[in-house]
Amino acid sequence: MTLRLMVALTVVMAVWPSGRLAAQDSQFGIRGLGTPGKWESVRARSAGGAFAPFDAFSPLLDASLADVRRMSAGVTSSTSWRSVDAVSGSDVSLRGTRFPAMVIMGPLTSRITIGGGFATYLDRSFGITTQDTIDLRGVPQPVSDEVTSDGGVTDLRLAAAIRLHRRIALGAGMHLLTGSSRVIATRRFEDTTYRTSASRDEVAYEGAGASVNALIDVHPDLRIAGWFRSDTKLRADVSGRTAAENDLPLTYGAGVLWRPGGQAIIAGTVAWRNWASTGPAAGPNAHDTFNWSLGAELGSASSPIRFGLRGGQLPFGVGQTPTEVGYSAGLGRQFSGGRGRLDLGIERLERKGTGLRERVWTFLLGLTVRP
Amino acid sequence: MRRLALGFLLVAAACTEEATAPGDCPNFCPGGQIVVLDSIFTTIIERDSAFGGYLQPYQSGAMTAADLPGLQSRALFVLNPMITRVAPKAGDTTTVPIVVDSSRLALRMVRRNRATTNLWLKLYAIPITTDSTATFASVDPSFAATPVDSVSIDDLLSRPLITDTATVRFWGDTIQTDSAGHILITTDSAKILTLFFQFDTLKAPFVVADSGRLGFGIRATADSQASATFGTVESSDVPTMLWFFHYTIPDTVSATPDSVVHTSQPRAPQFDTFVFDPPTAPLDSNLAVGGAPAARSLVHVTMPAFLRDSFDIVRATFIFVPVVPSPGSAADSFTVEARSIQTDLGAKSPLTLGAIGSVIVHPGSSDTVRIELTDLVRAWAIDTTMPTVLVLKQQPEATSFTAIRFYSSRTPAFRPALHLTYVKRFPFGEP
Repeated sequence: MTLRLMVALTVVMAVWPSGRLAAQDSQFGIRGLGTPGKWESVRARSAGGAFAPFDAFSPLLDASLADVRRMSAGVTSSTSWRSVDAVSGSDVSLRGTRFPAMVIMGPLTSRITIGGGFATYLDRSFGITTQDTIDLRGVPQPVSDEVTSDGGVTDLRLAAAIRLHRRIALGAGMHLLTGSSRVIATRRFEDTTYRTSASRDEVAYEGAGASVNALIDVHPDLRIAGWFRSDTKLRADVSGRTAAENDLPLTYGAGVLWRPGGQAIIAGTVAWRNWASTGPAAGPNAHDTFNWSLGAELGSASSPIRFGLRGGQLPFGVGQTPTEVGYSAGLGRQFSGGRGRLDLGIERLERKGTGLRERVWTFLLGLTVRP
Repeated sequence: MRRLALGFLLVAAACTEEATAPGDCPNFCPGGQIVVLDSIFTTIIERDSAFGGYLQPYQSGAMTAADLPGLQSRALFVLNPMITRVAPKAGDTTTVPIVVDSSRLALRMVRRNRATTNLWLKLYAIPITTDSTATFASVDPSFAATPVDSVSIDDLLSRPLITDTATVRFWGDTIQTDSAGHILITTDSAKILTLFFQFDTLKAPFVVADSGRLGFGIRATADSQASATFGTVESSDVPTMLWFFHYTIPDTVSATPDSVVHTSQPRAPQFDTFVFDPPTAPLDSNLAVGGAPAARSLVHVTMPAFLRDSFDIVRATFIFVPVVPSPGSAADSFTVEARSIQTDLGAKSPLTLGAIGSVIVHPGSSDTVRIELTDLVRAWAIDTTMPTVLVLKQQPEATSFTAIRFYSSRTPAFRPALHLTYVKRFPFGEP
């Protein structure tokens, strides 16, 4: 693969329409603010997300930018096949292709690196169809409704990392939450005397946030990470009018990475987000979440094999907090003398909540270039 | 690696989405709901008035003869002048008189009460001076005389079809005929009848002083509910008189002196109309539609502002309550159509092309009339430049005595109303 082709691929993915800059969606997010995105590169996600705090191409940690010594960019794409089994008996298969993250970075000085990019903060892409019979003019009228939303909230990040000491790196980032979703609500009447009613609008989202984090090498083979992020309220505007305003959660977590040998890396993370405080709109269906991950990367740096395990909770769902368990694996390959890397991964997720179960297969494809 | 890159591009290009699933509501559906409301707006119709004289009976595309309880109608027409002399040689100023031998009148009956029995049509001679001032009373004496001709429609229809090739070649179709020589051709599943009356010069005299003009009146009778409508000169179903005549070529102008030429010429009506008794009542405070001269009603609607902003109208039905049932037989059912206008000039407002809603009114019925006008009211809600005016008119106009009157806004208990079903705007943006 030539460098020119690599750059072209990166540009194609970078300029892809923002409506598709979403992570994999979930039925659990429909009743809440959305489905939180995964701030992970393909490399990190193939290892269950465990490498995300230590991987500069994952938009989770700003401090990891400190490891980048030349201009670099990475982009992630995912294609998901999702089956939804509702307790009510409706089973359906869904699919979608997303570009959940892009990161570009480069050193400013020998100790300071800056970077930026986008990642999905909340996915708001879904479609719902329902049937009902209502009484109109004294006559029962069968109706079918369809509510669709296409879009989400994107996290635009501008970050900087500084290496204070050969074992300590600090990072900070500013986050602009922006995006929109095209929403359509359609009601069709079986009696064609009644016209189909379709309301269309575009909901614009706006918010901001900040993050601070650190990487500490307690030993040449052992690195730990910690992060904290706070976001303001997320405002939803429809036609210039604020339709809703919701608090966003605090995010904090920690991770550890261990190199037991020259061709093995093991990592694990834990993270918390207090979604339950996101405001009255989410109501009792919002839950604080705890997520963990464990992953490993084996083999040479030029062609490693990865696998991982993740678990945790989803923030929105009726009754008990929905849970998520995932298994993933993947491989990577460097080319052009290490100036490019292609990562492939596959992930299996199972989500369970009161009244609903989802199974997701996701094919991941990532491209990293260092021109 | 190139293949991997190609695969990468293919994945990017093949972003097929399937994001819609049956909803498990309310647990896994958006917080908002599609809400349908249904209301009858009784006070938004105002400034409603009736106007008359849009189309006179002599301008309409049909004329009706009827004999109904409490209502009589007669169709009338006066033929165009016929030539009385002819130039036997083209370009010659010398003319010779024609001698009429016979004539054949063709009438197209475009509508009749097919449920009635023993339907007869009777043709009467009427004065050739008959014009638009004619009334039922002024022509009634002509109908007291012996008819020029009469024909039993039921009898003709019961006759066998004559289908031999010679007949079809001459008449263009299979025919039915009776002993008096009347010819009948049926078209459109016997909905339309073409009748031919054969006249000798006694029945249809050719009066040179009158330039061959003749006037005929048509009366319909039956066991009950006699009603029949005929095409007029304003339609494609024109009554036509075919005059058969001959003339003699003088010996000075032809290579065949003293030879006799037989030929024919058609004549359409110069004037046609219909008269009925009792005549259409004068306009009053109610909303009149139809009759002759034709009346129309204009209805102004004040659209509530909230319907423009926050709701999507899915059904709109105008409701009109008849004052009295429309006169006529069941076969005299007619269409009331609703039109919007291009600009509001009152009674002379130009109408938009084509009906946007219609309803069939059945004589004798006092049922409330409902006209579905969803598309129009939706357009009013979206386009604030449109005049929110509705015109009710009969279709076709002035072809018969039938008319309907609805209560106007001046009768609060039965005033016109607008029944709307509308969907509340979906609460987008809320979780």
